[in-house]
This record gives sequence, structure tokens and C-alpha cells, in this order.
Amino acid sequence: MLAKSTQKPSAKQTPGSNQKKANNTAGAHVASPPNAFKSYLNNHLKVSKLSIKDQLERPFASFFTCSVIGIALVLPTLLAILLSNIQSTDIDWDGSAQITLFLKKDTSALDAGVIANQLEKKDNIESSHFVSKQAALIEFKARFAMDSVIDYLDDNPLPHAIIISPSPELANISHIEALKDRLLKIPEVESALLDVLWVQRLQSISSFVEKAIYLVAIMLAIAVLLILGNTIRLAIENRKEEIAVLKLVGGTTPFICRPFIYMGMFFGLGGSIIAIILIHIILAILYGPVEELAASYQSDFDLSGLNFESTLLLLVIGATLGWLGSWLAVRKHLDDIEPT
Amino acid sequence: MIHFTNVAKRYQDGHEALSNVSFSLDRGEMAFLTGHSGAGKSTLLKLIMLMERATSGQVIVGGQNLARIHKRQIPYFRRHIGVVFQNHRLLFDRTVFDNVALPLEVSGANPRDTGRRVRAALDKVGLLSKEKLTPIQLSGGEQQRIGIARAVVNKPPVLLADEPTGNLDPALSEEIMKLFAEFNQVGVTVLIASHDLALIKHMNHRVIALNKGRITSKDTIKSEALDVS
Repeated sequence: MLAKSTQKPSAKQTPGSNQKKANNTAGAHVASPPNAFKSYLNNHLKVSKLSIKDQLERPFASFFTCSVIGIALVLPTLLAILLSNIQSTDIDWDGSAQITLFLKKDTSALDAGVIANQLEKKDNIESSHFVSKQAALIEFKARFAMDSVIDYLDDNPLPHAIIISPSPELANISHIEALKDRLLKIPEVESALLDVLWVQRLQSISSFVEKAIYLVAIMLAIAVLLILGNTIRLAIENRKEEIAVLKLVGGTTPFICRPFIYMGMFFGLGGSIIAIILIHIILAILYGPVEELAASYQSDFDLSGLNFESTLLLLVIGATLGWLGSWLAVRKHLDDIEPT
Repeated sequence: MIHFTNVAKRYQDGHEALSNVSFSLDRGEMAFLTGHSGAGKSTLLKLIMLMERATSGQVIVGGQNLARIHKRQIPYFRRHIGVVFQNHRLLFDRTVFDNVALPLEVSGANPRDTGRRVRAALDKVGLLSKEKLTPIQLSGGEQQRIGIARAVVNKPPVLLADEPTGNLDPALSEEIMKLFAEFNQVGVTVLIASHDLALIKHMNHRVIALNKGRITSKDTIKSEALDVS
């Protein structure tokens, strides 16, 4: 990609000036055909084919390099999948951000009902639902199967309660908390319970995980660059003589770089493909345990994996890292090789 | 074609490889560069093809002042100069054909053209039948001739050779030198560094003698100059 941009202008300028020179020297034939762009594309095609062939000729070495890159890509990708699963889990927000108002003992059921009705008319309250202490007791018994214990009690220890659902516009937890504080000022209200702590926790965990993913991804991207850089450096080392000869017969730097850039890109792509395969395997293994875990929380949580876009993104990231790594290596090491 | 004016080359370690070198080689001329090893022959050739740059003085090749050629333009400049090395510098993982095609490939020549021109060059050095072999399957003389084919395949106006017969026996050496003379006859400017004095005398061309980085003789053959070196 970059080889293209550096090659084009120089290729345009210099053959022109050289042709002039060739004409006034010995009338030499200089290879600068009119279809320069076509031969440029031809060279790209040829080099990319050769590069693939090259790697297939050394299947084990290539596979190992790709695997290292693939494994490095797996970790951040898995974390990202985990995060997107958490974030997309249907957090029952309206239901969960309920405020339960417990009324004072001496409040009659009638008063409680009136308060509930009045509250429902308020703007920032979606609904309010009166739960009498009798109803609460029945539900309590049903849910905890403690009939016998309750039966020992002389009277119902539970207060009347009003369950408030804040209107959905109050997306922010601090707004809901402010509402709770206002509701507390109602004289009949003994206490109020806002059950959002777990939502807050989940949110902070997910933002922590998100940051962790970025850090891990950056570190592993650097690792991939270093691995690729080293691989390309060795490849350059192995082809030192070839590079020197190419320089002697007039090969431009982009021309000489091209095979290595393609090599890096194919390693990156190969790494991505291995990462994709590994992720599918890992998700298949994790699917069962996750289902069980979700079921134990009465959640219909469903583990979603790599979709088409993220697969594509992973391939692009792999190829880009490969290109960048090889480009950096080539930049650093190619100039060192001068024909002697 | 090649003009040196008061050229000096001092390497970074302080060694002065060339000092105050001035000479001219006209278009279509052929000359030998002689001298002991270390006399500066290779350095002089390196200056012509911009493998090294002069510390002072002026080198003009084909009307271009080499000091003004930017690093990025060097590849395009080198496409006008064919070079033959003592160890021929062929790539052993490629066929003879691909080796000779290298200069055409780097300059982006049309692939159809490439075949025709590579075969023409191979034909000229008499190795047309070996195009599919790899250099390792050839003899030393044949390898050197492949090196020459590679140097001339894009018809450069200048042909340089650094000890092209250094590793060959006298009969083969003469064959190689005759090949250079043939290219010279079709108008190529040829400069050959060699210490094979017997052969040079025999070839009857201009001789530029170097001794410790200085030119001791630069005209037609002077036997006394040759005897000194």
C-alpha cells in the first residue's frame, strides 16, 4: 500500500529524466514501456503469487509464524467477544431500576393506595404499584417456603410497600437516585430501596474490561509487530545477496521491499485465519458451561460469537499488522544492505 | 562518456583509495584499468556506478554529474550501466533465464519483450541452450558469461567489469575479453579492471594504470607503465 505511494511519483519522474539522458548518451534502450502502470501491477501480482508460493514451500515454518500471530490475536478478540456479550445482555433496566418504598407501620392500606395513585401521575414515574403487607407476606411465603416460621409470628412483620418504576427517560442512575431521595421526603415513607447496585457494578466491570482489552490488544499488537519484524528481518538476512544484486541492477527500494511486504501481509492474514479458527473452537468448548451458568441465574443469556463483520475486521487487522510489521522491518534493515 | 576530474576518495577509516584522479573515456571507447590489488581499481568502478561517492572532485557519466544524483534516483541511473563482477554474483536459486532477466524485471519491462531480449543476450554469449539450468550447473566460464549476459541485457551504454577473468584460466579469459570487445564494437563504452597484464597487452586497447590511488599512465599502451605495475 505504501510501496505504491512511494513508488508511483518517483517512477513517474525519473524514467523520464533518464530517458532524456539515454537518448543523448548512446541511444540506449531503456526499459520504460508506455504501459508502465500495467507492468507495475504485473509485478505486484507476480510478487504476491511468489510470496504465497514461497510460504507454502515451507509449510511448517510458515504455519508456526502464523500460529504465533494467531494466538496473539485470540486473546484480545476473546475478551472483546466476552465484553460485547456482557454489554448486549438484556439487562432488564426498567424492571431492575425499581424503587421500593416501605411505608411506616401506621399507614393504612387505604392511604397507601392513595399515595401510589398520586405518585403514578408524576412525570418521572412510569408506574407505581401498591403491594399490601398481606400480599407481601403471601409472596414471601411462596418464595421462601417458610410457612412454618411465619406461622409462629403473631402478626405480619411486613410493611405496606409501593413499587415505583421510574420513567425510562431517567436513564442515568444518578437521576433515579435523586428521585429516590425526593420520594423519601413523603411523610408516610419509612425507607426506600433502590436496587441498582449490581447494575452499577456491572457497568464499572464492563468499562474496566473494556480498558483492559485495549491495553492487552495494544500490547499484543506490539508483540505481533515484533514477531513479524523479526521474521522479516531473518528473511531479509537470508536474501542479502539477492537484495544486493537487485540494487546493483537498478531495483528501486519499493521494488525490493515488495516481496517482504507481501510476506508480512500474508503472515498477518494467516495469523488472522488461525485466530478465527481458534476462537470458533474455544467458543464451541465454552458454549456448554456458559449455558449452564446462565441457566443457574435463570437467564436466557446466549453466547454469541464472531459475526461476519468482526471476522472481516480481524482479517483486516491481521493483514494491516503484517503489512506494518514488515514495513518497519524493511525500513530498518534494507538500507543496511549495500552492494559491495 | 566517463569524465573524472581531480577525484579523491577517502574512506571513513581514513584510507585514501583514490587521489587526484583525472581521466576521460569517450563514448564507444574501451579501456583497461590496471594496478595491484588495493591500487583503487574497484573504488574507481564503484564511483562510476554510485556504489560509493567521491570525497572530492567531479565524476560525470553520460553527461550527468554524479554528485547531483539523489539517493532515490540511483536505481534509475544504474539501469544504464552494466556491471560484471569477478564472482559474477548470480543468484543460485533462479534459472539462468531469470538471472539474465533481472535487470529487465526491475525496470518493469514488458514480459513478452523480456523473453526476446534475454534470449538475444544469451545468444550473444553463446549460452542460449542453457536458459533453463541454474547457474550451479554451469562451469566457471559459463557462469561468467551469464553474468555478462545479465549486464548487457538492457543494452546499457556503459559496461563495467571488475576482474571479470580473475577466476578463469587463460583460454577462457581471452574468450571473455573478446566478448567485451564485441560489445565495444557495437558502440558500448567498456571499462575493465584487470591485473592480467599479458592478456591486456594482447588486447591492444587503451590502459589506465593506477598505483596507490593515483593514475600513473592513462594513454595507449606504454609497456614501461605496465612493467611498473
